[in-house]
This record gives sequence, C-alpha cells and structure tokens, in this order.
Amino acid sequence: MPPKKAREQASRQVNSAKQVLAPEVIAKRTRRHLDELERSNYAEPSISLLGEEEDDGAGGKYAKGRARQTISDKRHFGDPSAKKKKTSMNVRTAILYRKNLATLIEESGIAHLPPNVPTYLTAAAPPPVIPPRLLCSVCGYKGSYRCKKCSMPYCDLNCENVHNETRCERRVI
Amino acid sequence: MRSSTIVVLDNGASTIKAGIINNERDEDIQDKVRIIPNAVVRSKGDKSTYIGHEMERCRDYSALHYRLPFEKGYLIDWDAQKAVWDGLFSSEVLGISAAESSLLITEPYFNLPNIQEVYDQFVFEEYEFQSYYRCTPASVIPFGQLFSPGAAPPAECTLVVDSGFSFTHVVPIIDRQIQWYAVKRLDVGGKLLTNQLKEVASYRQWNMMDETYIMNHAKESCCYVSTNFLEDLEICRSNPKRNNITQEYVLPNFSISRNGRIRQPEDELTPTDQVLVMENERFSIPELLFRPDDIGLEQSGLSATIAASIMLLPSDLQGMFWANIGLIGGNTKFKGFRQRLFSELRSLAPSEFEVNILECDSPLTEAFHSGCAFVKDTNFSDLVVTRAEYQESGANASRRKFRDWQISEDNSKESEKGKAKQGLDDDDMGQLSRKPSRTKVRTGNTSTRRR
Repeated sequence: MPPKKAREQASRQVNSAKQVLAPEVIAKRTRRHLDELERSNYAEPSISLLGEEEDDGAGGKYAKGRARQTISDKRHFGDPSAKKKKTSMNVRTAILYRKNLATLIEESGIAHLPPNVPTYLTAAAPPPVIPPRLLCSVCGYKGSYRCKKCSMPYCDLNCENVHNETRCERRVI
Repeated sequence: MRSSTIVVLDNGASTIKAGIINNERDEDIQDKVRIIPNAVVRSKGDKSTYIGHEMERCRDYSALHYRLPFEKGYLIDWDAQKAVWDGLFSSEVLGISAAESSLLITEPYFNLPNIQEVYDQFVFEEYEFQSYYRCTPASVIPFGQLFSPGAAPPAECTLVVDSGFSFTHVVPIIDRQIQWYAVKRLDVGGKLLTNQLKEVASYRQWNMMDETYIMNHAKESCCYVSTNFLEDLEICRSNPKRNNITQEYVLPNFSISRNGRIRQPEDELTPTDQVLVMENERFSIPELLFRPDDIGLEQSGLSATIAASIMLLPSDLQGMFWANIGLIGGNTKFKGFRQRLFSELRSLAPSEFEVNILECDSPLTEAFHSGCAFVKDTNFSDLVVTRAEYQESGANASRRKFRDWQISEDNSKESEKGKAKQGLDDDDMGQLSRKPSRTKVRTGNTSTRRR
C-alpha cells in the first residue's frame, strides 16, 4: 500500500524530530492495551478500533429482528420434564438485555452522589508516587531506550531489532 | 418461619464457592465446599458447551471460549449467571429446593445499586428463596479463622486484602464494620495477569493467545512474587540457561497429558513435547500487583495502596491495622507474596508500629468458610430479608437491611426517618451499630496529624 507507506514515512520524520510520540497517543495506546487485558477471551491484540466487543459473549451476536436466544432457559438439570416456571418481567429483562458495566455505572447515578460518599469511582487506588521504570517490551529486562517511532522501551540493539521487525507501531493509531 | 437449609454462595467472578448448612443438626455442619467455574465455556476440541459445574466433564482444554457473567468484577451477564446457578442449585450439585432454603450470597465491593436490585429479583422472583442475605466477602472474614487462629478473639481493627480474579481490594474493618471511606481498589486481578502472560508468552515463544486455560495453569504453577525484582532480572539476564529461576513448562498435548507440568531435572521429554520456557515471566507477571505502572496502569502498587488506606483511618487506631493485615483471594497464593508485601509494608509503616500479615490455609475458600461461621455465630434469621418483606417493599427491603457502602450515606437520613416512624428494626441495627463515636474520633484526630 504505497499511500500508507508514504504517510508512515512522513510521520516518521516528524517523530524523529520530536523523538517520541505525543503523550496523548501513548496514553490512548496504554488505555487500549489495559482494556484488552480485561477481556475474557483476549485473543488478538486489536489493530483496528472495531471489533472489540464481539467476542465477549452473546450480547451483540444476534441480527436485528431475530428472536434473542438465551442459554439459561434451554436447560433443565436433573429433571428434563420440569415444568416451565413463569419468569417475572424483571428477570426476563435482566436476562435479555445485557448492559455493559460502563452503561450500568452511568445509570446507577453514583457519579452524582456527594463527594464524601465513597463509591466504585472514588475507591480506585491513588496514582503512583514513584516514577515508572522502563522494562524492555521485548525481553522484559530493564530497558534503557525508547523506540523513536512508537516510544516502546527496549534494552539493547538485539531487542531493538526484534522490536522493529515485529511490533513497532502496532499499537499506534 | 425458620428455614432448615442455608445455602452459602461465594459468588466469585472466576469460581463459585458454594455449600449447604443444615440448621437442624447443629453439630455436624457440612461446610463441604464445592468450587465450580463461574463461566459458560465452549470447547472447540469437542464442540460442546459446558455450563459451570459441567466443566469437569470437559476433556479438551485447548482453545476454550469463555463467557463470564462478570465484567471487571461486576455481574452484568445474567443469562450466563442464571445458567450457572441453575446447574448449581440442581440435583447435579447442591440439590436444594430454593423455596425451602435461605441464601447467603457475596457481592463485589461497591456493587452498583441497580445491579443489587437484579440480585434481589433473581433471588426472590426467579428462585423464590425463603430469605436471603447479601454482603461482601470481607464483611464475613471477621467471623472466620483468618484473624483468630485457634480460639483467640479476633482483633477489633483488621485490614483484609482481597486479591481476586477481577481486582484487588484493601478493606479495613473496625468492629466487624467495613470502613467504606477507606476501602481502596487496585485494578489488577488474576484475569489481567493471565492475559498479560498470554500476551508475553505469545510474543516471545508460542502463540498462546487462545489458550486461556493453559496459561492460567502455567501462571498458577510457575509464577512467584520476587522479593528482589531487579536482582532476579539480572540473574535471568546474566545466565539465561543455567539459573535457579528458569523453568520449563511442558505444554499439555491433550492425548497423553491433560495438564501442563513443570519439567523436573530427571524428566525426559518425548520428541513431540512442546516446552514453554518461563524465565523472567515467572516473576514479572505477579510483579504487576506491586508495580501496576509497569503496564502503564496509573495506580499505586498494593503496598502503597494499603498504606494510603490506613492513612484514611482514625490515627489512634492505625497501629492496629498495620498489625492485623489478612490475605484472601487466589492471587495471594503466589509464592513469596507475603514476604514481598511484608518487606514493602515494613518500610512504609511508621517504625513504632508492628507490621503483621496473616495468611490462611486456603485463601480461595476463606470467605466461604467465614460465611458459614457468620451464619452460625449471628442471629442469621434476623439479618436476612424475607420473601414476604421483598414482596411488600421490593428493593427497599434489602436497601434498608444490608449494611453496605450506601449505608454510610443513608445513615443519617434513614435513622431520622426511622426514629420519626417507630424505630424500625432498631434491634438488629443496634447490635451491629454503625459506631457514630468513632467518626468523631476520626475527624478530631486527623486535623492534628495533618501537617
């Protein structure tokens, strides 16, 4: 893809002048990586911004208009002929309409509680006081350098080469 | 209306720890705990789906696809959760009749009010339990053995470190009451560690990105917490082949070996065996609990988080917290966890205070066993919300009765209302009072201590 290549080249020159990427790009990359580490079936480090939700269950799997399928009411443990119990409206809603945690936090309104009330949002551990240390992103040893393009740390020439060949810029958008 | 069986359910994001207590035969209480995965697992190998306890029938652990009811520690997928619970309550596991049982279930710290309502709905509308009690794991720990080995009465001020699958919480407790204003959360849990190991191993050696199960096992068998991280790094670096850190993890092939294993010196490998070399991965993965900034997570490590939590507590009691730190949760099983935590806390704690860290035999099931003790030691039937109460006042019934983080906020409002009406359930609450005097002490002293 020549156009992309050209773009890369351009940005590389800009970056080499500045040495590192803009901090907000790095922050975004880090945040995305942390989100990936929270996924249940973290399979492929994502390159695009799309397709992150897909693998985490049945939530978005069903096409519009098709009846939603649940896994929980197909089974009758022990007694297959057990009579179908009537499910209450509330329970039905909870089973059929899954919401992700961010939505639930928003709907719970805990963000609007007075600041002296401890909540999930206020309970996060404080930011670190000690400065972060560099660890080589390739071998895990103490890193002394950062990649000029993507700012990932590495420890020596050898790891730098590995980094350049395999991983460089993978996470930068 | 006394129910004969009480179901104790420690509903973890990774595994459920469950068992039954029979009220009638007080003597031989069956604290026999069943541990089942809290997941709906699809196996590519044998093309079938295993729900919760059915996992034990699974023979092929390669490329398992997990559907977990929990996201970041909170219960959001009720369809999956119901499927797992259905199996758990059925005759295949516990074999209970919900309508004749009472339930003790754990919920995550700072559970959201809208999620709590769904708990109520499931317990009463779907399963129709006679009554139930919902609490956090740490709140029952004072009733267990962790802080009172033998028969010694537990200390008044304790600090529970609960490091589980989704996150790690530091929970200070005074007089069996959680001090919510000082509870702190570190967003590092077993799930993140396994995923990190998956990623690192896949980048450096074999592609293990689909092998969550295997890598979790590798993590549990090989990883340890280093007491001197930089020195261990040097050891691995200077002599990659011959050092006492490097281990070889023999991957399972699912025809002969179903589980991976650590290769012993005399262990002969067959030509088909595949080996994952674990070098600095062994200690740099659990290291994230102590240095979350290594992966860019802007949070203090566990030790600093504990210190920060203790600093928020009444200054005259802080010494007691330093001396009574208890560990629960699967991550505390890493070798060297306690030693590392101790050495870091020792340097963070004021020198006049003693630092003491308590461990239990099985950090996984400690909350379950404490829950059983809680049921036996308290007037459990007074603490629960009954189905009749739920039918009368809905979610308000449990909001009023269960002591969680919202109580501190509702406290003033509720008690005023209560007095104005007729002092509703003052008896239960009096016994487990919310220690108004302490808060006074606290505000008085922090001001003098602060510089």
